[in-house]
Amino acid sequence: MVQAAEVLSHVAALAQTGDLNPASATSTGLARGQTAISLAFHICFAVFGVGMPWLLLYVEGRWVRTRDPVWLALTRKWSRAFAVLFAVGAVSGTALSFEFGLLWPAFMARYGGVLGLSFTLEGFAFFTEAIFIGMYLYGWKRLSPRAHWLTLWPIAIAGTFSTLFIITANAWMNTPGHVTEVDGKVVSAEPFAPFLAATAPHQLIHMLLAAMMCTGGIVAGVYAVGMLRGRRDAYHQRGLRIGLTVLLVCAPLQLIVGDWAARVVGNEQPIKLAAMEGLGHTTTHAPLTLGGIYDEQTGEVRHGIEIPNLLSLMQGFSADKEIIGLAAVPPEERPNALLVHLAFNVMVGLGMALIALSAAVGFVVLLRRRRGQRPLVPTGRPWLWAAAASGPASVLAMMAGWEVTEGGRQPWIVYGRMRVDEAVTTSSGMPAIFTGTVLLYLGLATALILILRRMATGGPELGGSVGEATRAPDIPDARPAPDQQAPNLPASASAGDGSGNGTGTDPSGREEDTR
Amino acid sequence: MTAADLLAVVMVLGLTAYALTGGADFGGGVWDLLARGRDAADQRRLVSAALGPIWEANHVWLIFVVVMMFSGFPEAFGIVGSTLEIPLICALAGIVLRGAAYVYRAYGSGAAGPDHWWGHVFAVSSAITPVALGVAGAALVTGDVAEGAPLTPVTSAFGIVCGVFALAATAFLAAVYLCRDAAASPETEHLVPGLRRRALGSAVACGLLAAVLLPLLWSEAPVVADRFADRSVPFVVLSAIGGVTSLVALWQHRFTAARVTAGIAVAGVLWGWAAAQYPDLVVGRATVDSAAAPEANIVAMLIAVCCGLVVLVPSLWMLFRLFANPEPEAEAEARS
Repeated sequence: MVQAAEVLSHVAALAQTGDLNPASATSTGLARGQTAISLAFHICFAVFGVGMPWLLLYVEGRWVRTRDPVWLALTRKWSRAFAVLFAVGAVSGTALSFEFGLLWPAFMARYGGVLGLSFTLEGFAFFTEAIFIGMYLYGWKRLSPRAHWLTLWPIAIAGTFSTLFIITANAWMNTPGHVTEVDGKVVSAEPFAPFLAATAPHQLIHMLLAAMMCTGGIVAGVYAVGMLRGRRDAYHQRGLRIGLTVLLVCAPLQLIVGDWAARVVGNEQPIKLAAMEGLGHTTTHAPLTLGGIYDEQTGEVRHGIEIPNLLSLMQGFSADKEIIGLAAVPPEERPNALLVHLAFNVMVGLGMALIALSAAVGFVVLLRRRRGQRPLVPTGRPWLWAAAASGPASVLAMMAGWEVTEGGRQPWIVYGRMRVDEAVTTSSGMPAIFTGTVLLYLGLATALILILRRMATGGPELGGSVGEATRAPDIPDARPAPDQQAPNLPASASAGDGSGNGTGTDPSGREEDTR
Repeated sequence: MTAADLLAVVMVLGLTAYALTGGADFGGGVWDLLARGRDAADQRRLVSAALGPIWEANHVWLIFVVVMMFSGFPEAFGIVGSTLEIPLICALAGIVLRGAAYVYRAYGSGAAGPDHWWGHVFAVSSAITPVALGVAGAALVTGDVAEGAPLTPVTSAFGIVCGVFALAATAFLAAVYLCRDAAASPETEHLVPGLRRRALGSAVACGLLAAVLLPLLWSEAPVVADRFADRSVPFVVLSAIGGVTSLVALWQHRFTAARVTAGIAVAGVLWGWAAAQYPDLVVGRATVDSAAAPEANIVAMLIAVCCGLVVLVPSLWMLFRLFANPEPEAEAEARS
């Protein structure tokens, strides 16, 4: 993973420069590695905690209105996957709150209070989420369908607010302000300092869109793979359609937010921007460099494609806009531009590919609509392959984006105020702790992937036949029919749609492959 | 009373809520671990069913306390983070493993190893976590912490007894809570005698451990011990009354009353500790006053807590009311 690579190279770089004693350098490297792994692990699940409830609101809402068993089947499957993802996200988030103190005690000791409001509010948002998730997952039989659907609202809203609160904390670390320090002690801090951070608005929107894209992409990917394996029933068609719609609507918006983000970063953290673009020397008429490898010695990008003036134009709407290069600060204050530039390109490249997919699918959908073809979403094999790839692509893009944000802030933990190596723990146990964390998370991730793969395989879920009913949450059977009918769900569903709901209200009715 | 004091009170209340809800969840894991004999499977199912809807919410109390600590008393959190790494890492591993194992068992359908393996992981990690948290708490009492000496907290006799005491207390709470759950449905009534025995046994164990703990408190943590004698007697009496009435209520099969009195017994211990600990957070290293964040931030947090409680209290009330009684249908399914 990009972040792990960043850490390894960081260790190597510190060892080479020798400006720090080796023990502390190793400690910093390991602590950064552990933070990166913990965050990466957490965020892969947290995005579903943010995105999934909104998707569930839609599918379960459709079920409540239509009582169509296909919608129920989607709801059931997604709620089970969501239960596992949320629980793992929750415990890994708890681990993070401890790790802040264990790995970065000096950082927490100095700035914990500044971030207090963000984390307190986040705690309550998380509380709300956890409470209503309990009701949602285990309340199928105790709540009316409508009340059950309503419990999703607090989950979805609280999940989104959690993102808001956590992002403000990160944004403050990137652009810290509204805090007065004397001799390394915070003497006064505006309680809303994190909310006032210059990078907070774009980071928040960028991350929320990313969460929706990852959720949509992974959902679309799962159903695309199912369809590639020949399961082309209404259940798969709808799953694919919903996932793709979310992903492809968000992708172009992400471009606009990204452009805005780059300008804010250029103003607030010019060195990060320089690292993202691989710009060694301050210059006007700065080119935009696509791809390539940043060479620290020369301050140039090798093998990249340069588009003259574009960076200056994007930053200041004028080719005369001066862009600050990495050389503007001493070497020890520069981030690892090789990795940051690479990660930035990965993110932008994948984002562009998703936007291209978005445009292509949008075009085909319009075309098919004009011709009266159904389903609207194209389901030929190349399209399905593209949809299958879109999930991992979104997640990878998000991880690369975080590498840009975090890696680009280096060597600072709080930009301009505290360096990472000042914040790190002095513990001699870091190698053991790091190894333990890696093994623990690897084991849990492997098990989780196996479980999710099992969940994703096969058609709609059969009623509570798996395991004991008290262990897994109880889930109602489709309204008209108990378990026996469940295996035939897709067939009976599309038949029901065709004759009953009509094609006018439900475009998914009679979803046959008219490829 | 300053804003920092008030925040400390909020922290103690959060910790109490965590002990009474999340603590009992850990205890549930302990009884899963110790389930033996003919009814073992039924008992594990009962534990699992009792935890299902509420464990994630219960668990958030810990995050709440940690967040209060690092935001309100950042310096103390820095000290805790750099000196109590071993117990905290154990607690952390326990928390992560327990939560993950619980859902892997519930939803895994054997995809990632047999469900009973995850059941064991769940049970063992549930037992480790309260011990580790107890050890960490004890270190705050003795103040016997130092950077570069990570083993000190885990090798202190006082710390270890505190850890075991925390474990026994969670097991006691869980057994008492489970008695009522089991008695509420004819399907699980046969588990009541066993659970009742366990509740009585763990109550006695808690009493004995407390008797060992008190002399150790005086020898290992004289500062806190002196304040304990001054201030904590009412709480100790409250706790003792709670404990004794729990025994009586259990004896008489009055399980709802036993839940309340058991809660009082455990809360009394925590409040007695808090009263004696004040104003120190880490004895000799950080006090409520010295470690506090700037006042404006603490006031903002307190306001946020009040606003949060407006959402939280009704939500929690709904959650617990919704799942207060086992549903007949689900029980029937479990048997089939």
